[in-house]
Amino acid sequence: MQKLLERIVATASGWIELRYQARSTKRITVRNGNLEESSSALLAGLGVRALVDGVFGFASTTNVSERGILEAIEAAQAAARTSAGAKKERIKGLADAPMATGTFAVATDDPLDAHSLEEKLALVLHLDERIRSAAKEIVSSSASYGEIQDEKIIVTSDGASAHIFDSKPELRALAVAGRNGDQTMGHESSGVTGGWSDLLGIVAPEKLADVASKLAVDQLSAPHPEGGGSVVVLDPGLVGILCHEAIGHTVEADIVLGGAITSDKIGRIVASELVTLCDSGATEYSPYAVGILPVDDEGVLTQRTVIIDGGVMRSFLHNRETAAHYGVAPTGNARAYVYSDDPIIRMRNTYIEPGETPLEELIGGVENGYYLRELGMSGQADSNAEFMFGVREAHRIVGGKVGELVRGATISGNAFDVLKSVDAVGDDFAWEHGAGACGKGQAAKVDAGGPHIRCTLTIGGRQA
Amino acid sequence: MTQQNLLNLCQQALDLARKHGADRAEVFGQATRAITSAVEKDDLQISKSLQETRIGVRAFIGTQVGFASTNDLTKLEDAAVDAVTLAKASPGDPHNVLPDPADIQPVEGLSDPAAESFGTADAVKQAIRMLETAKSVDPRVIVGESEFSAELRDRLLLNTSGVEAGERSSLFTYSTLTTARDGDVVSNMAFKFGATRSVGDIDVDPIARRSSEDALGSLGAQKGTSFVGQVLLDPYAVVSLFSPLPFQLSARNVLRGMSRWKDALGESVAVPGFNLVDDGRLPGGIATAAFDREGVPHRRLPLIVGGVLRSFLHNAYTAHAFGVPNTGNAIGSAGTLPAVGPTNWTIVPGDIAKADLIREMKRGLLVSRFSGNADPISGDFSGVAKAAYLIVDGKIDRAVAGTLIAGNVFEALKTLSGISRETEMVLNFTSPSLRLEGISITAE
Repeated sequence: MQKLLERIVATASGWIELRYQARSTKRITVRNGNLEESSSALLAGLGVRALVDGVFGFASTTNVSERGILEAIEAAQAAARTSAGAKKERIKGLADAPMATGTFAVATDDPLDAHSLEEKLALVLHLDERIRSAAKEIVSSSASYGEIQDEKIIVTSDGASAHIFDSKPELRALAVAGRNGDQTMGHESSGVTGGWSDLLGIVAPEKLADVASKLAVDQLSAPHPEGGGSVVVLDPGLVGILCHEAIGHTVEADIVLGGAITSDKIGRIVASELVTLCDSGATEYSPYAVGILPVDDEGVLTQRTVIIDGGVMRSFLHNRETAAHYGVAPTGNARAYVYSDDPIIRMRNTYIEPGETPLEELIGGVENGYYLRELGMSGQADSNAEFMFGVREAHRIVGGKVGELVRGATISGNAFDVLKSVDAVGDDFAWEHGAGACGKGQAAKVDAGGPHIRCTLTIGGRQA
Repeated sequence: MTQQNLLNLCQQALDLARKHGADRAEVFGQATRAITSAVEKDDLQISKSLQETRIGVRAFIGTQVGFASTNDLTKLEDAAVDAVTLAKASPGDPHNVLPDPADIQPVEGLSDPAAESFGTADAVKQAIRMLETAKSVDPRVIVGESEFSAELRDRLLLNTSGVEAGERSSLFTYSTLTTARDGDVVSNMAFKFGATRSVGDIDVDPIARRSSEDALGSLGAQKGTSFVGQVLLDPYAVVSLFSPLPFQLSARNVLRGMSRWKDALGESVAVPGFNLVDDGRLPGGIATAAFDREGVPHRRLPLIVGGVLRSFLHNAYTAHAFGVPNTGNAIGSAGTLPAVGPTNWTIVPGDIAKADLIREMKRGLLVSRFSGNADPISGDFSGVAKAAYLIVDGKIDRAVAGTLIAGNVFEALKTLSGISRETEMVLNFTSPSLRLEGISITAE
């Protein structure tokens, strides 16, 4: 296939990018002891992007014969030509970039296909059973396993020819507890870029079940927090979601050009000097991040991009088009989820670099506040960096000690104000969003994390 | 892909599933052609085309089930083998059943023949029109994203019980996401969505205009005040805040022990004026189709009538488990197993104008969009009121920013004090504006 794509690109007119992708997925879900899903899927095809008269056109096809590929190229070029008259600012060129050649494969000595369906099913049944038997209050349990395996070939008319193999398994546990008509939920998940033993090694599967069931049960007797401003300690999960959702999207160059609050912030102080915030195609500080991306979907070799350096904004996240617009180097952030998606600017692994303060000191320095752990049911943020995240587990901190659990807490504020309020950064580090995905018209497997941090934000609760 | 070709492929996959050991099987095929024209940051960004056929095979061996799907039509046999293999490895479940054939009436107007010749140039024209209309409202408006899509889809369902159902549909969808920017002040994002089945009914102007107006309305919003009181939710806010409703109404979630309404059939769950309907044949609805993911006819299904819970949503599995009629609410694509969910769901409008609902409010908050969480199980919601306006003495006083609202959806259903007669369609959900009581409003 790679040779065929190279041959076609060599004879095609104008700039084109061919991306073949074969994705195979598996999913097993067990709920309350019943198998709800055991499924597999193959999604294969070719996406073509053409640049004609300063406009992109895109076409996708499942017919990957030579004739099918040539027809898709013609469709992409025709779409571009048809659009050209309506485009105000033509693309003058794409920024030069280190284009990838060769083979890029996830390093694992324990590939997912070496493990049988029966073994995967047995693990999921075991987790579901463990959740259900954890406490008499558990009224519903669910465990699931999912895997994505990708083979991609990216060939462009300006030098990329990369063959990429990727593997991302994940596990999820969900518990619902009930008492006197009241119901509460606990969930926990893990996911990696890697193989079977990498997934089982990063968090013991039983721990996922135990954390989810305990949280569901404990919340039954937890009060709601009071609303208002508070000093908080955020765990790596919430630091990650703050980096990704509330900051990261506002520095994606396409969002910046769409009117985000960051457009004039390069070189300006946007956070506490303790904060250095990065987005990377590699997996710094801790292995197996699920957003590992050696080559992006424009065929560009990725790099670590420092977005905020010691509190000062230094870079946006770019594809080759926006990099040319800003006169900077591409950062390797162009991604497409499946063959029928065109590459757009997405994050990879987004994090705050660890600092020097031990967790006990972060918490010990809070007289009255909250210790907040992990994203709840959802999180959303706006291009003006205003955010609202549900919190999965919230404890009061009183006199420097973690105390009572509260339920239904949310946090909100302006992410840059929150980062300016950071007065201590932990010396630990974790990736916490391995089972998550980001949505921006299409999905992407991204990770996010960091150390614990201490900052000030608004807790959403109930007015007395 | 012609309808006959799709039928042949599905028949082939059904035969292959039986050949490899399935005693019963179902095949769902979807052939899609789509073109999209997208605007980003005030300029045309890209036009795209897609052609894909996907086949999903559900294989049964006794009460065991496995499912596999593929879009590589040279690998139908692999999908059939995978489905059978997965079934063999799976524990059985007595409720794994296939529906029997039923009379399926076609839905009129589901497909517009004119859609067959709708091309990239037409999509570009509509996308540019949305951009220009949005910008014409005020130069401070920035169109972050705007998209016009035209889709033609064939669906075909076959099973070994004799169900054979097929239909073609056309769908045009259009949306805009705008912000307004005045110097350093950036508004909230505003999102509007529209859809139609026929070329002649495409009307992107109101969507574009209202998206701009919403963004402008929140520009320069100031800090609000904290109190407990009335909140008037517009339809876009209702759809996110009331998301626990379809979850609670799914019979699958009742079986899972996750619905608080599991014993509430025939009981009051909302104020007497509250009526909720699911209608898979709703004219113009984006989920409208003659049959569901398992080939069962769609119909109009009252769920909550006069505040009283009347029905759950069922597919073949849950209907068998409860021993009740199947409501035709199997949802999903050829790439997924049938799940249970709403088609087009509608909160029935009331008889009072939204302006009068506002006039009756001494002090409250008007919320156009809700960005937050609504826990599907507890019903607790908490989040930011977007494009929110303070109401004082029956009048809109001013736009407020950074205001959180919190409460419980199930309590709100039992205390809500107003249902407007105006409605709006948000994706597959149509709702009036709703006035809730006793909501915690927290200004940051």
